Amino acid sequence: MKTICINRLRIVFACALSLLFPALGGAQQQMKNGYANIDWQFNIPINNGFAEKASGWGMNFEGGYYFTPNIGAGLFMAFHTNNEDIPTQTLNLSSSSRLTTDQQHSLFQLPFGAAFRYRFMPEKKFSPYVGLKLGAQYVKAISYYNVYSSSNEKWGFFMSPEIGANIYPMGPGLFGFHVALYYEYATNENRLLIYKIEGLNNLGFRVGLSF
Amino acid sequence: MKKLTPLLLVLLLTASCQKEPDTSKLSGNFLVYTDYDTSENFKTFNTYYLPDSILLITSSKTPSYWNNEQSDQLLTTIAEKMAAYGYTQVAEKEFADVGLQVSYVESTYYFTNYSSPYWWWDYPGYWYPGYWGGYWNSWYYPYTVSYNYTTGSLLVEMVKLDSEARKIPIIWNAYMSGLLYSSNRINLQLAIAAMNQAFEQSSYLNTQN
Repeated sequence: MKTICINRLRIVFACALSLLFPALGGAQQQMKNGYANIDWQFNIPINNGFAEKASGWGMNFEGGYYFTPNIGAGLFMAFHTNNEDIPTQTLNLSSSSRLTTDQQHSLFQLPFGAAFRYRFMPEKKFSPYVGLKLGAQYVKAISYYNVYSSSNEKWGFFMSPEIGANIYPMGPGLFGFHVALYYEYATNENRLLIYKIEGLNNLGFRVGLSF
Repeated sequence: MKKLTPLLLVLLLTASCQKEPDTSKLSGNFLVYTDYDTSENFKTFNTYYLPDSILLITSSKTPSYWNNEQSDQLLTTIAEKMAAYGYTQVAEKEFADVGLQVSYVESTYYFTNYSSPYWWWDYPGYWYPGYWGGYWNSWYYPYTVSYNYTTGSLLVEMVKLDSEARKIPIIWNAYMSGLLYSSNRINLQLAIAAMNQAFEQSSYLNTQN
């Protein structure tokens, strides 16, 4: 399964690059206006009520255009999985039924939508920015227990303020690095066994490449 | 549209890239599911009947029974738990307030295409109501039950034999299931532990509280 996923990631990476090249492309004359980031991300769930363990199994893709030297807008897509081991416990599934088992919880989040940025010092090699992402989020919650699993999929509204910086060692607008801190909130509501997800909150950081 | 193709590809591919947890970390203990008829007052029962064999659900149309040292250990576990809850075992069904029918799924051959949640009813020879006496013509669950099935599952059902109706109500059921090991000894230990847990989480069966 891991190998399949790594191969998929390679394809995702290639596709993402193909998305980004037009932004870079138009060749060099648009270099200062188009932007793109590909990041690895570390996600920390905050009281989500399901799969609470922080993890680094996620990526973020973002590309856009600066309409003024400071203000930009574009599209983004990210995905993340958080897992958590749940020790053996007896769950009251209803007023009469009970289930005793240990579990492994898995929460997959996939937000995408519009991204907005305001950057500072666009002419410098270190260019910090503040951003806001708005869009939709697909969430799949799964509980694995013994040889069984139960799952629930839902959609929700997604928003995420972010602060970050692009670092261009070779000069502004050229190939560089990207770091960011983010907070996310999504309205997804999932029900699974006895567990209720009523909105998702996450904190995290991203490290990646900037084009 | 052409420009959207890579975007759609990215979405589709990432959606299928959820990192699955390492399920080898799970304990391997059987899951234990129990349910009961909440309208039943178990304190009114005193006696029970337990068959000396476990019905085997196999790929054969002819019912067979598990009756050896291992099945004895499982039935002994049930008897011990019933005694602890204040029930007295009787040798004749006619004198029992409740009966216990115990089944083991050795093969799921008959159930792979069944959508009914009561899949085990469809097994040829599954605990004919007549087993409990000629008076009964069928049995039923007064509550909704639904669970999956797998090879290696143990089912225990408590039937109420002092009912005046001709249908026997099943007033408690336990379902124990899990991945089987190559060692019969380990599988038996898991089954016994699961059986103990089934009674542990069904304290309403206790006639003495």
